[in-house]
Amino acid sequence: MKPGTVIGTVTLSQGAPQFQGARWLVVSPMSADNLKTGKGYSDYSTPIVYDNLGAGVDTPILYVEGAEATRAFDHPIPVDAINVAILDNISFAPPKS
Amino acid sequence: MFHARVDGHATSTVCHPLLEGQIIVICTPIDENGKPTGPPIAAMDPLGAGLHSKVMVSTDGTAQRLNSRSCPLRNDVIGILDT
Repeated sequence: MKPGTVIGTVTLSQGAPQFQGARWLVVSPMSADNLKTGKGYSDYSTPIVYDNLGAGVDTPILYVEGAEATRAFDHPIPVDAINVAILDNISFAPPKS
Repeated sequence: MFHARVDGHATSTVCHPLLEGQIIVICTPIDENGKPTGPPIAAMDPLGAGLHSKVMVSTDGTAQRLNSRSCPLRNDVIGILDT
């Protein structure tokens, strides 16, 4: 599970049949600096994340990558990342030094 | 599994049903000297680790799947380090 900021959405004109009705987000993973200041975007590569919670652009979310992402579905689906939480509040305070 | 330091917390209202009621901590993976080794990750914390405590994090979803087979969550705090 990683914290990330939604920076966009994706729509498909064609896709796997299991993807019908799916919503996709472009997510920028948060770096320590982003978490500390609560703004900005990291330069990490941006995954496309399946969304059924309805996250909007600029929303902080938690997403899960890997085989676990498919476990939220009761049918086989070729998904590799899923949004599991829309975050209300993040506190991040690493020790100084 | 790896060592991490608890650097913060997160709260969520709209979340996967299996995440409801769980504590979410933001952890920074660290090496044996306490230096960060990667970007922060989020983990469920059933143990109640305090801020800046060193913890052991499992990146496998197995611990969560003990409760439900259809659980997409991973990253669990499975131990709090003494030394």
